[in-house]
Amino acid sequence: MSDRLEALREAITQILPEVDGVIGIKSGPSNIVAPHLFVKERVEELPALAIWPKEPLPDTLKMIQKAHPDAKLAVVCRGCEERGLVEMAKHAQVNLENVTLIGLQCSREEAEFCRCARPYTVHSKVVVGEPIEGAPDPLTDEFAAMSQAEKLAFWKEEFAHCLKCYGCRNICPQCFCNVCTLEDEKWVETGRLPMSMPAMYHMIRSMHMTAKCVACRECEEACPAGIPLAIQFRLVARDVQEMFDYETGADLEQKPPQLLVLEEGEYERTGLPH
Amino acid sequence: MYEPKIIGFLCNWCSYRGADTAGMARLKYPPNVKIVRVPCSGRISPELVLRTFAEGADGVMVLGCHIGDCHYSTGNHRTAKRMPVLKKLLAYNGIEPERLYINWVSAAEGEKFATVIKEFTETIRELPQFAEVMK
Repeated sequence: MSDRLEALREAITQILPEVDGVIGIKSGPSNIVAPHLFVKERVEELPALAIWPKEPLPDTLKMIQKAHPDAKLAVVCRGCEERGLVEMAKHAQVNLENVTLIGLQCSREEAEFCRCARPYTVHSKVVVGEPIEGAPDPLTDEFAAMSQAEKLAFWKEEFAHCLKCYGCRNICPQCFCNVCTLEDEKWVETGRLPMSMPAMYHMIRSMHMTAKCVACRECEEACPAGIPLAIQFRLVARDVQEMFDYETGADLEQKPPQLLVLEEGEYERTGLPH
Repeated sequence: MYEPKIIGFLCNWCSYRGADTAGMARLKYPPNVKIVRVPCSGRISPELVLRTFAEGADGVMVLGCHIGDCHYSTGNHRTAKRMPVLKKLLAYNGIEPERLYINWVSAAEGEKFATVIKEFTETIRELPQFAEVMK
């Protein structure tokens, strides 16, 4: 890990004179880390650069770009964050034209911790660390093998702990609507616990994450109740890939399938009647 | 044995007219389906379907124009893209995906309308009452 941190610091030092700032993670007192904008005027902060635990840097980029649309920035991104940025760019949340991506490759432990299938970057020009192969996702696979009744029992148990804190929505880099369905009493009983089944909140969120979730697992990390939220998103993402041949965050040019009309051969794969 | 409660979202231009055609032809079909007329099957958001289940429906039908015949040209493409994903999601939440039914019924297909209603009502009758399962 320290090699990668050193290499990342080196890459940032090199790029810093050419840009207005580099978004990365900085460790503070008692080793708490937070997103930070490193600038050439304060290079003395670079020793405090950190790489783990990961923080939602795409959102930080979005915030800074909102205030300074013309800023020339660089951002440290892992595979998931890079995919997130690609999806955000498609939905006009960030502008990648003036942004240099510094691709940080995940280590084996990190990939296994995140159960990540794609722990590497593909678009980043600057690459730090050696790209590794994806890690298995035993939790999702075990869930997928369950029977209907077991799945229901699984979520009844998990969602009983849900606090409706909206942490998973707030942390999600892909959740950016100005008006949120999940705050609408028509669809979600806001502020009432325990969550009744069917879990409207989580199902609506899963639907809205169709062809958007980049499997960064920020929601699971943010959840105070430790609900394995990524399971549903990942299974839906697999279906979307099968039905609409769409891989989130892979290609900047490919438009999200839910915004387009049916294409040749797609209908046959949806399993709808003829 | 219970009487299943089914909500059918029918598009105004094809399927609702199809239901009229079935009525005019005096075709018999089970009375379990309560029909809600909507401007287009593409109007049916996943939220609407989920809320219908949450309110205690045992089954939900979404019927629209055949692909290519939509009054708004591609409204039902939205249905065809959204509903299969929702069906998968229902399954991942432990809800039988058969409870959500999507088909295309034109204004001339009164016969098909009656058949579809009959078959779906029978499918739902085989399943336990939704509200009981969710308790």
